[in-house]
Amino acid sequence: MKTKTNYTIILAALFISFLIGCKKDDDSPSPVSPTTPPVNEEELITSLIISFEDTAGVQPSVQYAFRDPDGEGGSLPTQHDTIRLVVNTYYNATVQLLNESVSPAEDITLEVEEEASEHLFCYAVSNTNVSIIRTDSDGTYGLGIKSRWFTGNVANGETTISLKHQPGVKDGTCSPGDTDVEVTFVTKIQ
Amino acid sequence: MLSNKLFSVIVILLLGFTSFAQDKSNCNFSLSGKTIDNHDKSILMFANVYIKELEKGAVSDTNGNYVIHNLCAGKYEVTVSHVGCEPVTINIAITGDTKQNFYTEHHAEELKQFAFVEQAYVEEQTVDRKELSIKELNQSRGKSLGESLKELTGVTSLNTGNSISKPVIHGLHSDRILILNNGIRQEGQQWGNEHAPEIDPYIANKLSVIKGAEGIRYGANAIAGVVLVEPNELRDSSGINGELNLAGATNGRLGVSSAMLEGNIGKLNGLSWRVQGTLKRSGNVSTPNYFMKNTGLKEYNFSWATGYLKAKYGIETFYSQFNSDIGIFSAAHIGNLTDLQRAIESDVPLESADFTYDINRPYQHIEHELFKVKSYLATGEIGKLELIYARQYNLRQEYDKHVSRNDSIAALNLPELQFEITTHTGSLIWSQNRKNAFKAQLGVSGIYQANTYTGREFIPAFIKYGSGAFIIEKWRNKNAKLELEAGLRYDYVYQQVYKWLKKVYITPEYIYHNVSGSLGAVYKPTETLTAKINYGMAWRPPNVSELYSNGLHHGAAAVEYGDTNLIAEKAHNIILGVDYVKGKWLIQAEGYYNYINNFIYLKPVLPATLTIRGAFPTFKYEQVNASFAGVDLKSTYSIYKSLSWKGKASFLRAYNLTAKEGIVGMPANRFENAIEYKLESIKRFKDIYAEVGFQNVLTQNNVPANSDYLAPPKGYGLLNFKTGFSLPTYKQQKIIVDFEISNLLNTAYRDYLNRFRYYADEMGRNYSLKLKMTF
Repeated sequence: MKTKTNYTIILAALFISFLIGCKKDDDSPSPVSPTTPPVNEEELITSLIISFEDTAGVQPSVQYAFRDPDGEGGSLPTQHDTIRLVVNTYYNATVQLLNESVSPAEDITLEVEEEASEHLFCYAVSNTNVSIIRTDSDGTYGLGIKSRWFTGNVANGETTISLKHQPGVKDGTCSPGDTDVEVTFVTKIQ
Repeated sequence: MLSNKLFSVIVILLLGFTSFAQDKSNCNFSLSGKTIDNHDKSILMFANVYIKELEKGAVSDTNGNYVIHNLCAGKYEVTVSHVGCEPVTINIAITGDTKQNFYTEHHAEELKQFAFVEQAYVEEQTVDRKELSIKELNQSRGKSLGESLKELTGVTSLNTGNSISKPVIHGLHSDRILILNNGIRQEGQQWGNEHAPEIDPYIANKLSVIKGAEGIRYGANAIAGVVLVEPNELRDSSGINGELNLAGATNGRLGVSSAMLEGNIGKLNGLSWRVQGTLKRSGNVSTPNYFMKNTGLKEYNFSWATGYLKAKYGIETFYSQFNSDIGIFSAAHIGNLTDLQRAIESDVPLESADFTYDINRPYQHIEHELFKVKSYLATGEIGKLELIYARQYNLRQEYDKHVSRNDSIAALNLPELQFEITTHTGSLIWSQNRKNAFKAQLGVSGIYQANTYTGREFIPAFIKYGSGAFIIEKWRNKNAKLELEAGLRYDYVYQQVYKWLKKVYITPEYIYHNVSGSLGAVYKPTETLTAKINYGMAWRPPNVSELYSNGLHHGAAAVEYGDTNLIAEKAHNIILGVDYVKGKWLIQAEGYYNYINNFIYLKPVLPATLTIRGAFPTFKYEQVNASFAGVDLKSTYSIYKSLSWKGKASFLRAYNLTAKEGIVGMPANRFENAIEYKLESIKRFKDIYAEVGFQNVLTQNNVPANSDYLAPPKGYGLLNFKTGFSLPTYKQQKIIVDFEISNLLNTAYRDYLNRFRYYADEMGRNYSLKLKMTF
């Protein structure tokens, strides 16, 4: 009789344990699907292309790019141009960001434009005779997808183009926020 | 008869006070426990517990509880007597607050049962067991597990801000430390530097670090040691009792409450139970000069246990859940190398903040669930068989600072990175009761583990099977002056990875197997001196993150590459320890030399990886031969009456034998000095103490040049103050109050082992108050 009670208690305790325990999902985790590659849910930016147009229409239009088709890490970038511009010229420049890891390529610039009030393109030059001003705006502050470049005398230097993500903290300067894009191009004024 | 007893109680109490007046060094320890009838496990009321050397003792109360305060460290002969029982004498070594239950045999004729003698003997280990005393444990209430363990010499922590803290033992961490949560090895995502152990420290009644043969039981990869997180045993006598813990701190406006209730239902044949829960909340913490944005923390944990425990057989179940949201300091979530340089060059964080409890992106959400069943069966008089099964589920979600530019995806507010690991472990262990000079333990264990991820792939999905077998043998000579122990273990691990590599699906398999072992001796030439030596051999297979990490680790803003050619790490470790207790002195010294063959670590590689988001610092897992040599010292000296000095020191030199240079990320040498003043009682207040301590951490100079984005920060010194007392309420119940001011001088400093050393100072002055009520 006594042993019987003991077993009842043990069984009851075990039953309650299982009832209350393990309430979280206990699927033996199924490994990733062997038939379809995982979808990258993040919007990758693989390419930055900058196009230049001479405002006077004298010099030919040119395009320079940075391309890293597999995104950050992995293989090295496949294209990293030198920006070559002609002396003493006004250029209208346009930046384009693409995700070329998908087909057809996705234009990330459109998303930046949609959220113009959270984004800012910054241009920094070193040792080169170029002055750059943004020519578009989000309504309050500049945006920088479009810009005007004025070249001076012959020079060799660098230009860094970056996209800052500044949700809620945009103040027209490049300080706040995080860097979404940052590419440095060797720049030659010739 | 009764008046006789009363008289002896009075005499004992008087003697107790007299001996207090004579106060010696380290005389603040207590011996406590229960007196139990070994025959039917009922409690023994009014049993006499008497220490021969000190001529002092106590009488157990109606619940069978006894406590003897103000014991000096040393070895004592303790006699337990009770009406109708033959008095029993055993030897107990006091090196801290000690718990000892006495199983007295009510029937004199059965007394010679050897099981009793075995119960009473305190096992020595060939490596000093480092354990938080009850007082230290009380003082650490409200802190995380990693922070609590830092009180032990040789243990430091690897921090990510103030809320993520993982233990580092002798410079080693993560997979090289086994954490035993209530007897079950913790299996979560312990591989990452910013992955803290998912354990509620309020579960523990005992926190300790062990090495040597004991560790062999739990697994092969305890290269640095085993951390034991142990709750009290379930209540073994009829009734209900509980505990309420409250803690508050000014910095971060931390609030913690934790409650525990336990009981034993006599009517149900001694079914015992316990429920426990903890709530914790803190907001932005501040350095001496500014608030750190998004450094709040939220935690809610609970556990329960039931047990049906008899002398010959028993079963117990345990379930616990750990849930937390941890804000990651916003200014530390950087975009690229340029952002990092800007952050380093700025004295104050680039993002300022005020106080708030709100936790925003970036943050981590972590859940851990443990369910355990343990049963045991006495195998006649010679031993005991234990069968343990546990299931663990671990969920880790990392939310980046960036939300998707696509509004509909952003609105879902999904974590960018999510891991789920489920682990099943089982073991069958047979322990032999001491027979003549020998005592053995042998067992087998198995593990099954599966990991999946959603979101960004950082480490791939995998499954893992493992099995192991071990044997531990102990021997001691007749007068217990010499003890030897040896352990041997064999493990087999099978691992399969499921991964899309570019457009190809691969399922590589990995098999590892090896032996680990330990050999040690304890020699006690005199009562005052104990010498210990231990040689240990341990190994661990590379984990999947070390093999397969590939890409940008957003949390660390670094590109990390694994190496699929990594092979298992193998360690040979020698530890020498000396304990000396005499007069006013207590000295514990431990020296160690750990040689690790194929030590795996994350090495910076140049140049930085060029990406469209700028340059990223790049790291690659590399294998080298390394050595870790060090010394831990702990000492106390009684200066005058109630005044004593405590000192601690830890030195470590880690060396890369392959490249002949230092190794990055190792704890700096440190010292700690404290002066404590203690009083037995003032009116109703008992166990009064006040302590002023100064902690010195030196600059870590033993690193290769230019191995980091920023040289290791300068050393620092911190002044701390602690005070506290206990207030008896009813019978054995009391309220324990501890008050602490840490970083009293509000020193601005940075610690080398904190990942946020690039971005911000450590926490400033902090007042904290802890209350513990037992009822």
